[in-house]
Amino acid sequence: MPKKTWLTILFLSTFALSLSAAFKKEDVKVYQLANGLKVLLVEDHNIPNIALYTFFRVGSRNERPGLTGVSHFIEHMMFNGTPKVGPGEFDRRMEFRGGSNNAYTADDMTGYTDWFPAPALEAMIDMEADRMQGLAFVPDVLESERGVVASERRMGVENNNDSILNENVRATAIMAHPYHWDVIGWMSDILSWRRDEVIAYYRTYYAPNNAILVVVGDFEPAKTLGLIKKYYEPIKASIAPPSVSTVEPPQMGPKSVLIRKEAQAPSFMVVWHAPNAKDADFLPLSILAKPLLQGESSRLYRRLVREEQLAIRVGGGAQETIDPFLFTIDVKPRPGADFDKIDRVIEEELAKIKNEGITPKEFEKAMNIVRNDFYMGLQTISGKANQLGAYELLYGDFGKLFTIMDDYAAVKIERVKEVAKKYLTENNKTIGKLVPEGGAK
Amino acid sequence: MKKLALTGFALVLAAVLAAPAPLAAAAQLPAPEKLVLKNGITVYFLKNSDLPIVSFRMVVRGAGSAFEPAAAEGAANLAATLMMKGTAKMDADAVAEALDFMGASLGISAADEYAQVSGDSLSLHFPRLMEIAADCLTAPAFKTEEFAKERARRIDSLKSAKDNPGAAVRYYFQKAYFGGHPLGHLATGTESSLQKMTLQAVKDFYALHFRPDTAIAAVVGDIEKDKLVALLESTVGRWAKPASAAPSDVIPALPQPKGKTLLLVDKPDATQAYFVLGAPGYAMGDKVTPQAAVMNTLWGGRFTSWLNTELRIKRGLTYGASSAFRTWVAGGIFTASSYTKNDKIGEMLDITFGLLGKGAKEGFAATDIESSRNYIQGQFPPTLETNASKAGAYVRVAFYNLGFDYYDKYLAAIGNVSVEAAKAAAAALLPQDDYVLVVVGKAADIRPLLKKFGTWQEKKITDPDF
Repeated sequence: MPKKTWLTILFLSTFALSLSAAFKKEDVKVYQLANGLKVLLVEDHNIPNIALYTFFRVGSRNERPGLTGVSHFIEHMMFNGTPKVGPGEFDRRMEFRGGSNNAYTADDMTGYTDWFPAPALEAMIDMEADRMQGLAFVPDVLESERGVVASERRMGVENNNDSILNENVRATAIMAHPYHWDVIGWMSDILSWRRDEVIAYYRTYYAPNNAILVVVGDFEPAKTLGLIKKYYEPIKASIAPPSVSTVEPPQMGPKSVLIRKEAQAPSFMVVWHAPNAKDADFLPLSILAKPLLQGESSRLYRRLVREEQLAIRVGGGAQETIDPFLFTIDVKPRPGADFDKIDRVIEEELAKIKNEGITPKEFEKAMNIVRNDFYMGLQTISGKANQLGAYELLYGDFGKLFTIMDDYAAVKIERVKEVAKKYLTENNKTIGKLVPEGGAK
Repeated sequence: MKKLALTGFALVLAAVLAAPAPLAAAAQLPAPEKLVLKNGITVYFLKNSDLPIVSFRMVVRGAGSAFEPAAAEGAANLAATLMMKGTAKMDADAVAEALDFMGASLGISAADEYAQVSGDSLSLHFPRLMEIAADCLTAPAFKTEEFAKERARRIDSLKSAKDNPGAAVRYYFQKAYFGGHPLGHLATGTESSLQKMTLQAVKDFYALHFRPDTAIAAVVGDIEKDKLVALLESTVGRWAKPASAAPSDVIPALPQPKGKTLLLVDKPDATQAYFVLGAPGYAMGDKVTPQAAVMNTLWGGRFTSWLNTELRIKRGLTYGASSAFRTWVAGGIFTASSYTKNDKIGEMLDITFGLLGKGAKEGFAATDIESSRNYIQGQFPPTLETNASKAGAYVRVAFYNLGFDYYDKYLAAIGNVSVEAAKAAAAALLPQDDYVLVVVGKAADIRPLLKKFGTWQEKKITDPDF
């Protein structure tokens, strides 16, 4: 299973670039229905299939204490019945037509991903429109699904030490903003959401004016738009959902969190508050992450894994989010490794970047990584659908997908040094350690 | 995420080798051009200029972990990894730097029956990628220092795997099911085997098993054929064939468990219990493949399968439950797996065994068979959508000698699977009395719930190895 199944932010490492002839902004047909639903259509006849992706502007960012994890829970309930399509019928009907689906919830968005043979298009549009407006929330089914999510949390967090640490570090670094909690939510909330609260939340955020529909694949656009109008136009817009007003106050000194737990191997991570995806400092920070953390030639992999052999692996970086989130360095220490030494090595490497910046060669490498990731992500109809939807949601403009590589290339190399000095500071830092206790040899 | 991501070890190959699509459509896998290099390596080529990227795949027959000497478990994958940690021309840092600079990926790893080389890059960088790949394949340095580092890293990774019961249960299962059979070799090796491993054993494995006369390759992407031929000749084409004959690539028949065997692994801090159940399946290319696929899709292979419906959808016992077949030339296995709160593991296993019996006795309704056929066929095209997936399919189809129309035939056969054929597959392949069951969980809580499921064996998660 993926490590964090409810947080599959596929677009994280995929940015655009002056796009090749194969996929241009003009290939995307854009419509907005009177009820606010944004529709993006891209014809692609490479395989006889269609990817239909629906994005809602809702995620754990929109939750509050007591209702943490409810965005993700509604994602589960979306498969559990409407008055028209009974519990489990969505999947049964879809699979009968040769389709399959999945869904994910992140901090900022919820995405529903359908893949099916072209002839199933109308049936899928019908069922997607249906569940946007009338989930049944059958009480027995709701209780059963609560158990599923509790199991998902046990699997993904409680039986995964890195995730336990991650959840604790996030909650320590971020004190006020809803990014304080992880997408899965706290176990006590999972076990106690009330049905009426869940329904109210669904009604607030599941509406055409809060959604983006992306269709990529083997279809005829005019006919497809006709189907979309037929099934979606009758859905009424909702009152605009409330905005998220809480702003995380500046951190005023270093923080740390220590977990003692039965384990064979320790875990370690460091985070700093970082800007949101639209901030002018985001791209320089994202560039910085590549020579620092990505690949076996990165500065920290070399020092921590290869030279000083303090760790098994390193990872992390900046995450594209609507509100300011965190720049992360994840380290899997070798059992018995000295945490202080790991921290020192990280600080030494950051100091070098703060003083000298990154090299032109490292900058070029970052650009190559960005370009590769971008093209690899555009090979499939689902990759195109996901990126278009995520860009539209995150930047309010899918067209950003077609220019962001130019924005990357326009970053001045000195800016990397500047943002390192600005964000990766002592007072902005939270350090997390998980120390094995008992059990370990 | 709503769905079980079907990432069990059993599924990696199955996903591509078991699938279907709209009939009468174009070939699922476009016929590639066949190029033969001067040193004998066959390369299948398909040009695709949609995006400026190229994928390379190669399998080396007999260089998998099943061919390691028993005393050198882990040598195949260690050799594969160390091949990229320095060559005659470049040290390990230089290899990593060159690849990372291009944003390209290059990997060498050992599966059971073969080793695989995977390379993906921008078209612009593909020549450099192939130079590095050839260097790693033909002139690895195998330095003592790199061996020591990699071995230590692996030992630590194995310890860390034990902190994740979902991962650990797979290792325990592979050992419990296959025992001393070559398919019981963990690609990673074990703590004990790695402690005893020598660099010489790794070098010996490389010298004997990594060779061009057992290699098959494929290239798919944005590159002209003439340029590609010249590039391949000057890179992997210069890999010289050893004087010795290639070693045997025959894997002995798989073990056939008799009776009910249960291994409980005690992990006192686990809040869930994880199980894997395994039993004999069928070999790669066996004629039962289409009916087994239709049957398994309904039993445990998709979201609305019986297993996931009963364990997840109806009862909320788990986030995911699934079953799969895994196939090799020498035979195959069936596995079913899931996890739940410690106190529910008995109920979960009762339901699972009930469904195994029901499948074998009753089979499936005609509408379900139709749904399964549609599903397998409808989900197939995306599995061959990318350059990398096509290149991977070319080398595997060639490795198993299936013919490039394999998928078309397979999908056509799927369309013809009858209710009776699926029932017969269920009766033959869903285990009833002969199986190996492995559970990882908190023994104090779950021991009493498990007693009835098989002849007892128990280990502590902190015991060495798996």
